[in-house]
Amino acid sequence: MNDEQPRLRVMVVDDHPMWRDGVARDLTDEGFDVVATADGVGSSARRARAVLPDVVLMDMQLPDGSGVQATAAVLAASPGTRVLVLSASDERDDVLDAVKAGASGYLVKSASKSELVEAVRATGSGQAVFTPGLAGLVLGEYRRMSREPASPAKPTLTERETEVLRHVAKGLSAKQIAGRLGVSHRTVENHVQASLRKLQLGNRVELARYAIENGLD
Amino acid sequence: MNEGFRASSERPTGGADGGRVLPGFPGIVDADPVGPLWRGAQLFRAVSYCYALGFHIAVNDDLTHSGVAWALFGVLTVVTAACGVGYYRGFARTRYWVAGEITVVVALMLSTMLVADDHWALGNQTWPTTLWATNAMISAALLWGPWSGIETGLVIGASSTIVKGTFDPNLGRNATIIVIVAAGLAVGIAGSTARRLHETLSAAERRAAAAEERERLARQVHDGVLQTLAYIAKHGREIGGPSTRLAELAGEQERALRMMIADIGEADTQIVAVADDAAGDTDTVDLTVVLRGLAADDVSVSAPGTPVPVGREVAGELRAALTNAIANTRTHAGPGARSYVLLEDLDDEVVVSVRDDGVGIEPGRLEQARRDGRMGVSKSIVGRIEALGGRVLLVSSPGAGTEWEWTVDRGMS
Repeated sequence: MNDEQPRLRVMVVDDHPMWRDGVARDLTDEGFDVVATADGVGSSARRARAVLPDVVLMDMQLPDGSGVQATAAVLAASPGTRVLVLSASDERDDVLDAVKAGASGYLVKSASKSELVEAVRATGSGQAVFTPGLAGLVLGEYRRMSREPASPAKPTLTERETEVLRHVAKGLSAKQIAGRLGVSHRTVENHVQASLRKLQLGNRVELARYAIENGLD
Repeated sequence: MNEGFRASSERPTGGADGGRVLPGFPGIVDADPVGPLWRGAQLFRAVSYCYALGFHIAVNDDLTHSGVAWALFGVLTVVTAACGVGYYRGFARTRYWVAGEITVVVALMLSTMLVADDHWALGNQTWPTTLWATNAMISAALLWGPWSGIETGLVIGASSTIVKGTFDPNLGRNATIIVIVAAGLAVGIAGSTARRLHETLSAAERRAAAAEERERLARQVHDGVLQTLAYIAKHGREIGGPSTRLAELAGEQERALRMMIADIGEADTQIVAVADDAAGDTDTVDLTVVLRGLAADDVSVSAPGTPVPVGREVAGELRAALTNAIANTRTHAGPGARSYVLLEDLDDEVVVSVRDDGVGIEPGRLEQARRDGRMGVSKSIVGRIEALGGRVLLVSSPGAGTEWEWTVDRGMS
C-alpha cells in the first residue's frame, strides 16, 4: 500500500479458523491492517463497534445467524464501515439479501489472492465490487421487482444502468465497458454503484413501510 | 404367487419398521399390511364356527353316522382354533398353512358323503356348512389376491356339487356360489390394495428419509469439505507450478459438490411446484439450474436468483447450444479464454448471452467457413435456436472475443 495513505483497517468475519486466519494473513502480507476477527453475528457487531473498521470481509454462514444479519448488525454498529461479502458461489438469495442489507459487493471464496486484495482495496476506496454472478443476480432482482404490482418504493434501473450491468454480467471490466460505451471509467463505476444503492434504498423504504403498516413507528 | 405372499410369509410377525403392537397383545408386532384384515377375518371365523356348531347340533340326529360326524366336528373345532390363532398372530399366514386349510375344508365337506345319505345331502348344505367353508376362501384371497379367492370359492362350490351329486344351474334360486365367488373377489382386492398402499407409503417414507439424510449431509459437507476444497483451490493456484493442477482438481470437486447440494434444494422446490400444480406440469424445468450446471473454472454463469421456468425442450436445446459455444471457445479462442454466460428473464422470452474473451473471429471467416462447408459452430448453434423459433445475434471481432445472444420463447404449453 501507499505509504502516504493510512492503511486500510480490515475485520474478517468467518467461523472457520482456517479461512479466517488464512485470509487475515494474506491481507496483512499485502499491507492491510487486520484490526479484528470475529466468528459470529454477535461478536462481529461488538467488535465493529469497538474498532470501527474500514472494511469488513463477511462470510455468509455463521453459527449464530446469517451473514445478512451480521451485515446489518455491523453497519448499525459502525455506519462508516463497508462490507464485502466473501461467499460460497451458490448462496444466491443470501448474497442478494446481504447487498440489500448494505453490503458493497461480493466475491467468491475460491477467488485468487490478488482478486481478494484488489476487491478489498476497491471496497475500501468506496467502489462496489461486482462479479459477473452478482450482476446477474441484481439484474434478475430488478426484473423480478418490475413484475410485482406497482409500489411507490419499487426501485428501477435506468436503461444505461441495465446496459452496464449486462456488460458486467458478461465478464467485461469497468475499463472495457467504458471503452464500449464511450464514457469514462468513473461513469461506469457510478452506474454500478447506483444499481446497488437503489436496491439498498428500496429495501430501507420497504422496511420503513413495513414498520409503519405494523404500527412500529 | 405374488409379492404379497412373500411379504406376509417371510415377516409374519416381524418387528420391522411400521409394525404396530396389537392391542391386548403387547408382545406382538404386526408388520403385515394385510394384518388388520387377517385379524378381522378371524372374528368371522369365530361367528361361522358358532353357526356350524348350531347346525351340527340341529342335524346330527339325521345323519347316518352321527358318532363319526361328532368326531369329524372335533377336527373342525381344532382346525378352527389353530387357524384362528395362527392367522391372528401371523405365523400361519403362509402358503402351506392356507393350502392345508383348503385341503381340510374340502375333505370335511366331502365327508358328508360318509356320514349322511344321498337324500339328506341333496336337501341340505354340507355338514361343516358353507358359511364355515368360506373361511378357506377368505384366507386364500388375503394371502394370494382376488383370483385365488375366486378359485378357492369355485373349489368350495365344486365340493358342494360333488356331495349333492347334481349341479343346479338355476343360479337365480340358489346364489350361494355367486356370493362366495364375489366375496372372494372383494376380500382379495381389499388385501391387494392394502399391500399396494403399504408399499407406496413405505417407498415414500424411504424417499423422505433419504432426502433428509442428504440434506443433513449437505449441511455438514458444506461447512467442512467445501471450505477446505475452496481453500486448496485458492492457495494451490497462488503457489503455482505443480500445485496448479491440484488447485484445479480441488476447484472442480468443490463446484461439483456444490452443484449437487444446490440441486437437492432445487429438486425440493420443483417437487413442491409440481405438487402445487394439479396438472402435474413436469415438462417445465428451471433454466437457472440447467445453466449453472455448466459452470466451470473457465465458465462463469450469471442468472437471476429466482427460478426461470422454461419448457423441457427449450432448456435442452439451449444447454446443447451453450455446450457447443463453450467447447468452441476452448478450442478456438486461444489459451486462457473464459466464457461468460448470462441468463435474463424477460417475462415472455428468455435471453441467453455467452461471451468469450478470446481472440475472436476475423470478419468474414464464418462466411468463409460456411462456403467451405465447415459449419460446426454456425450450423449447430443457429440451427438449434432457430428451430425453437428464436433469434440469434453474433458479434465478433479480432481481439474482442465472440458474443452470442439468443432470444427464445419460453416454450411452455
